[in-house]
Amino acid sequence: MAKQYDVLFRLLLLGDSGVGKTCLLCRFTDNEFHPAHISTIGVDFKMKTIEVDGIKVRIQIWDTAGQERYQTITKQYYRRAQGIFLVYDISSERSYQHVMKWASDVDEYAPDGVQKILIGNKADEEHKRQVAKEQGLQLAREYGMDFYETSACSNLNIKESFTRLTELVLQAHRKELAGLRAAAAPADLARLDEDELPPAGAEEAPKACWC
Amino acid sequence: LTNLFIFPFFFCRNLFTRKPNARLEKPNDVGWKLFGKVPVRENSQKDPKNVQKEYEEKTGRAHRPLSPKQNVRKNLDFEPLSTTALILEDRPANLPAKPAEEAQKHRQQYEEMVVQAKKRELKEAQKRKKQLEERCKLEDSIGNAVLTWNNEILPNWETMCCSRRVRELWWQGIPPSVRGRVWSLAIGNELNITHELYEICLARAKEKWRSLSTGGAEVECEDAGFSAADREASLELIKLDISRTFPNLCIFQQGGPYHDMLHSILGAYTCYRPDVGYVQGMSFIAAVLILNLDTADAFIAFSNLLNKPCQMAFFRVDHGLMLTYFAAFEVFFEENLPKLFAHFKKNNLTPDIYLIDWIFTLYSKSLPLDLACRVWDVFCRDGEEFLFRTALGILKLFEDILTKMDFIHIAQFLTKLPEDLPSEEFFTSIAAIQMQSRNKKWAQVLAALQKDNREMEKGSPSLKR
Repeated sequence: MAKQYDVLFRLLLLGDSGVGKTCLLCRFTDNEFHPAHISTIGVDFKMKTIEVDGIKVRIQIWDTAGQERYQTITKQYYRRAQGIFLVYDISSERSYQHVMKWASDVDEYAPDGVQKILIGNKADEEHKRQVAKEQGLQLAREYGMDFYETSACSNLNIKESFTRLTELVLQAHRKELAGLRAAAAPADLARLDEDELPPAGAEEAPKACWC
Repeated sequence: LTNLFIFPFFFCRNLFTRKPNARLEKPNDVGWKLFGKVPVRENSQKDPKNVQKEYEEKTGRAHRPLSPKQNVRKNLDFEPLSTTALILEDRPANLPAKPAEEAQKHRQQYEEMVVQAKKRELKEAQKRKKQLEERCKLEDSIGNAVLTWNNEILPNWETMCCSRRVRELWWQGIPPSVRGRVWSLAIGNELNITHELYEICLARAKEKWRSLSTGGAEVECEDAGFSAADREASLELIKLDISRTFPNLCIFQQGGPYHDMLHSILGAYTCYRPDVGYVQGMSFIAAVLILNLDTADAFIAFSNLLNKPCQMAFFRVDHGLMLTYFAAFEVFFEENLPKLFAHFKKNNLTPDIYLIDWIFTLYSKSLPLDLACRVWDVFCRDGEEFLFRTALGILKLFEDILTKMDFIHIAQFLTKLPEDLPSEEFFTSIAAIQMQSRNKKWAQVLAALQKDNREMEKGSPSLKR
């Protein structure tokens, strides 16, 4: 039987409540956009398999609740992620300001090798814009992240940003993936954390799991 | 769609629809015509030659639509076709007549079809009659239950609420017309909140909204330590979340009939309990209460409900205590469903993944609303333990498929349960869950775990899970 996928890993969506995390995700996985969707409580899950450089990658995406109060809970999930989207809303200065707080939490709780990408969502709402594209670019530069302005509504840069983060995670895990084509079973990067390895440097551990 | 429509008449040579050139395609083979009529919604079943309906139902059942939205769309698509008639006609006069033999054959086929259709029609009618009878029976029993609740139970609440008979009636679901009153009585009003207090809290909330919207000076409140920005964020979050509370019902959104009520209750609560504030998930609880109670009574029930230990632990995000609840849940999980428990462990699927959503919203987000209300009914009767029993009931109901799934599929499934949960099976499954573990009840297990936790914290604070 053919493998359904070659690699499995987890991406996490973080950002203030209402910046459009769930909408980004729905657009990416189902190509749907519902302006009146339901609030996320705790964490929701989606999955999609995409092909990058001939590698079939199954990504699990964890979509978290944005309210600050929930961070006690959602922080527990950071360490399970290989890639993280930091999302703000271009029509909300506050959500942009909060990215710094989200980023510092990620530094504290996520594994060292985690890949990050900055997203300014709702790019279609130009008339309500409070955050200039240049500000987004600058923040991304400061943190050494890639940056996209996206719109789940008009389907702008959705596929591009998800693919880009996937590429970054793949690059970061090149070593483990070197023998991939020879391996019979999929590589489960997401499983690393489940073996309770110490988060620091875990990705570089040679016992990276192939099971 | 057209294919499905034609299917029973595959030997029928021509189809006369509204397409004008359909007649031109094979003008030589006129057999019989199929007419599509614009139906009158209600009387489609009275048409004796209605064959379409059955196909509509058949196909509706064959590919059961996943979302109600799709369902609606599908029905609409079918609507214009829902009455059809089959008429046997001779060939037009300008064409040579059919040979007698062929005409005879066609007549025979035609009659067979009509007989078949009639048979199906009769069967349908019988089925409908049975459904109607069942419905009447159900309505009767609801009517009787309403009488019992109104005349016997509610006037003698204190003495009757714990009786075996009332508890049984309670389990079967509280009739919607008395539901709010029963919930209010069962939740109680330990906090002694009056309608006046609600008005005061609401007035304060409105004052805050005004001062924030005018960008005015600091409103000094007793909730010191909460910056103006935080409060503003919380008020904005309420606004945002109201529009995302049961969006499908379209009654809580801006301009909807219950928008202001929901806004008022949540706002008043942030003034009543500034230490708790607004937490996502509350809007769902308030919304369900609003559907069953007047605003002030809904507020009283809301505040008292949130004041219960389990709800307080969750809404204040007391992580240690939440973990204790999850641990207690796992004790009963392992006891009731050992196989599934092992499977979840193997896949590293911790209870927080699905319980957070279920407990925070008291199932109102994940279950169909009528089922959620029935869960609330028994939750009001049995307390927090029933929330966890319900969770186990859900896991039990889907045990077979869940054991075949991996992490992500289980997580997706449990955070978005099927919308067509059968209510009787669902409650049978919950009833089969034993909330006893080695002779210990839920409260005892929970208390023991809490005690362990406290001792562990005392011993070494870093040993917390």
